[in-house]
Amino acid sequence: MTEIPLIEPEAERSVGTSVRRKEDYRFLIGRGHYVSDLQLPRMRHVAFLRSPLAHARITSVDVSSALEATFVDAVFTGGVEPFKSVTLIAQSALPSYIETAQPILAWEKVRFSGEAIAAVVAGDRYLAEDGAELIEVEYERLSPNVTAWSTPEEPLHSEAPDNVLLERRFLSGDVESALANAEIVVERKLTTNRHGGNPLECRAGVALFEPGDGTLQFWSGTQVPHIVRNALAELLGMSEAKIRVVAPDVGGGFGTKAALYPEDVALCLIARQMPGVPVKWVEDRAEHLLAATHARDHRYLLTAGFASDGTLLALRADVTCNVGAYSVYPWTAGIEPLMAGGLLSGPYRLENYDCTVRAVATNTSPSGPYRGVARPASVFAMETIMDEGARRLGMSTIDIRRKNLIGPKDIPYKMPSRLVDDSGHYERCLDRALELFDLEDFLREQKRRKENNEPPIGFGVACYNELTGLGRAASAGPRMPFRTGHDACTVKINPDGAVTVFSGVTSQGQGLETTVAQIVADAIGVNYDDVEVHIGNTDESLWGFGAFSSRQAVIGGGAAQLSALAVKEKVINLASKLLEIDGIDLTLRNGEVRVVGELAPRFSLAELARIAYLESNRLPNGIEPGLEATRFYDPIRGAFAAGVQLGSLEFDKKTGEIRILKWVCVEDAGRVINPRIVEGQIAGAIAQGIGGAMYEHLIYDDDGNLSTGTFMDYLIPTSAEIPEMVIDHIECPADNPLGVRGVGEGGTLGPNAVVAGAVADALGILVDQLPVTEGTIWEGSR
Amino acid sequence: MKPAPFDYVVAASADEAVQYLAEVEDGTAKIIAGGQSLVPLLALRLARPSLLVDINRIPGLATIESLSKTSIRIGALVSHRMLCEQTTSPLLSEAASWIGHTAIRTRGTIGGSLAHSDPAAELPVVAVAAGMSVEVVSPSGKRTISAEDLFVSTLENSLADDEMIVAVDAPLPERWGFAEYARRHGDFGLVTVAVAEVGGKIRIAIGGVGNKPVRALESEALVNDATSLDTQLTERAARAAASAVTPNGDFHGSASYRTGLVEELVGRALRQLALSRLSAMENWS
Repeated sequence: MTEIPLIEPEAERSVGTSVRRKEDYRFLIGRGHYVSDLQLPRMRHVAFLRSPLAHARITSVDVSSALEATFVDAVFTGGVEPFKSVTLIAQSALPSYIETAQPILAWEKVRFSGEAIAAVVAGDRYLAEDGAELIEVEYERLSPNVTAWSTPEEPLHSEAPDNVLLERRFLSGDVESALANAEIVVERKLTTNRHGGNPLECRAGVALFEPGDGTLQFWSGTQVPHIVRNALAELLGMSEAKIRVVAPDVGGGFGTKAALYPEDVALCLIARQMPGVPVKWVEDRAEHLLAATHARDHRYLLTAGFASDGTLLALRADVTCNVGAYSVYPWTAGIEPLMAGGLLSGPYRLENYDCTVRAVATNTSPSGPYRGVARPASVFAMETIMDEGARRLGMSTIDIRRKNLIGPKDIPYKMPSRLVDDSGHYERCLDRALELFDLEDFLREQKRRKENNEPPIGFGVACYNELTGLGRAASAGPRMPFRTGHDACTVKINPDGAVTVFSGVTSQGQGLETTVAQIVADAIGVNYDDVEVHIGNTDESLWGFGAFSSRQAVIGGGAAQLSALAVKEKVINLASKLLEIDGIDLTLRNGEVRVVGELAPRFSLAELARIAYLESNRLPNGIEPGLEATRFYDPIRGAFAAGVQLGSLEFDKKTGEIRILKWVCVEDAGRVINPRIVEGQIAGAIAQGIGGAMYEHLIYDDDGNLSTGTFMDYLIPTSAEIPEMVIDHIECPADNPLGVRGVGEGGTLGPNAVVAGAVADALGILVDQLPVTEGTIWEGSR
Repeated sequence: MKPAPFDYVVAASADEAVQYLAEVEDGTAKIIAGGQSLVPLLALRLARPSLLVDINRIPGLATIESLSKTSIRIGALVSHRMLCEQTTSPLLSEAASWIGHTAIRTRGTIGGSLAHSDPAAELPVVAVAAGMSVEVVSPSGKRTISAEDLFVSTLENSLADDEMIVAVDAPLPERWGFAEYARRHGDFGLVTVAVAEVGGKIRIAIGGVGNKPVRALESEALVNDATSLDTQLTERAARAAASAVTPNGDFHGSASYRTGLVEELVGRALRQLALSRLSAMENWS
């Protein structure tokens, strides 16, 4: 006998489940639509001529042979209008910040090898490259400097004779006397390796200026289309209403595509010079390695004092970040040093802190945001101090961390940099990670190997906090002329009852169409399959800053939740008036409106939507047609996400080979919207972190030539190098509409410290320089 | 990253291919087979041939023939994947499995790899260790070049501008060993070692330590003079190999690290050789 339900059906919940991603079908059948897929009538292709020298004055650029070639449509150089007067100047109101200008095409001097000097337009990329070869540039060489901690002979920018673009001191408590009272004082000098995001799809853009209506369309693989539109309007002197920026499917970003690049502006300027002709540039990997933003080229000079029980008493730090030739637009050269100084103390209680950070320009590709922004390096620095403190005090590396971790009772915890930690769940993550890792078992095996003279194993640990979803207060640090705390979302119920969302978020593979649909479906009370999400188009969504700082689930998700709830309120209000029943007694679930306690629905959402749009004769008094709402969300502060990683590694002293045996990560994502997406984010971030820890290194020689200019020499780990991972969550909801914490970046924060810790544990080799390679192990074992 | 302009012809036979080569007077014609090394060089405009002669459609070059019980003849178009899959020469099978990734092994050919003469590539090292030779044709006829004489320097060989490798004669070693260390799966080795006993003589070749595969002559003398390849002798031979090489260091590994790898990998390869008699015998039964 079938039981007859006595109460209304349960609402189908989408949030918290791994629903099938909306994006995947088109990707799997090869119907994704990337910038490079775009084909337009009369389309022309652009190749950039790039400087072979790192630092030189340009004495002449002769384009006459290129212009004479029949296959060349046009050639553009920087010294003439409209290029000459347009420069990228990243702004910050921080007192010590020195503003410098980045030309769109270099014409007075070149400041790094790979800087664009001219653009050639032709029928295809082959011909455009042939044309670029015909341009003759004469240079007067200047002394290059590629290291941020050596004295330059010739400054890059006359405004900054010492190449220092920013210097800031974080000061709290009294470091001097705390160090004097410390049981032990540890000192370390650490350098980290320059590397970059290297998304599968390099940068790409198509620009089209339509002479008929004076509009500029720019299809770009950008993470930040609204910022791009805003900047283009200002740089080109156009109305924002006349510019449409579209980020279609984008094949990875990782921060690399969160900047506005000279090449982007060049394309738009070229398009305006060639009305009606779409111009396309698809960056190749050689260009990407040379001229897309780099990151993580830092030096840390650290002094820390510990009490005999392991309490961290004081930390003094001097952090130098190599920011490359230009202050990255619009984030400024401060992006890495300010993050390094602001979050160096990480998840640890610390009162006495004296940290000076500086951004130093060099003749290298500009550094910019890359997944984790400075923190993979700064966590390595902090965890090295913890490991060193433990070793000196004869404590375990776990115990010393327990002693210092910020706990729930400390929350809200004001860090010495004055950022406010709202998490405090580090020890819970650590406990769970240790349980999954099985430390006892590891220690037994380590002992057994030692006794049997088998290849040694070591274990490393990293505790970290990721500041995610920064609201207007948390994003104020860099003092840029904008605050990235908010996003907008528009939710519209169509006349047939299905839902269309215009969200300000963007996606480079993270599955935001899915995540936003899950949020909206649950908030309104409709099925996930009935929600379509449109993103990445400035003509469609009202506003969104885009993808960076692990902000979109928190901020874009919050905006989606608020706007969906606002629409739901309109639906309930309409039904309430039609039924003459108080809205409080109505529910909207699975696309049906019921009176609480009744089994049969009174309306389907489609019926109500039809009334709202088509049957104004049935609209109650005072109700306007349509079902649509737009809301902004700003969390004001941010949501700290706790994370812990543990790894065990095996070392072959004879070849230096490093094998990762086990990797455990436990993070607090707050409320998890889509478990599979969250785990994918964490696994991918750890893989990139391992890449940075052991393989990826952008190396310049002393003349400023990039030695690692292809994937033959710039090594990205493949699936053969990345271990199986054990990923788990604790769910401590954050104080925002969804209770979520960002997880986009946290995975990258641990691997440097885990690998370095394991090397020290197994072999007693102290890692002062990243990456850790077989060479490190072999040389250290001699 | 697009190639500079070039002309392209498809050759129907080896004779036709070398005729095309000969017709380009300044020697700027280039043969393309699998293209796994040449195409990246073209794309980076580091190679700028005036003419590409495509030999992929020449019949009969993609087969392995047994010449005798002690040697095989491998057509120039035999792919690395075919080398992996054949069982007659376990040394070639093992070495080919270290080349790149599946896609690369499917297109890349033995003739291409030897002609490209990359001192860090696997097949040149094996060719020197096993005493292979290549059969080349030109409009004026045929000749045979031993592997050691083929490799001149980095990406440089002793082929004339109008010569093309058509086959590789590969002796089947009685015993063999192969060891490589690469930073990632599929990369060129930092150091690659192949050892092979052919006709009772052991030869040791090392890749990645010079501008062509290097023979460890002193080590060879040590192991060939001795009656048995015991642990002590293996260690001595490995040390001798390490002290005979003068690798260059770079950011992938210092000179001293590479030298250390030579010692370790020569030892490993010799130990594998010492253990391989049994399986070699089985092959012949």
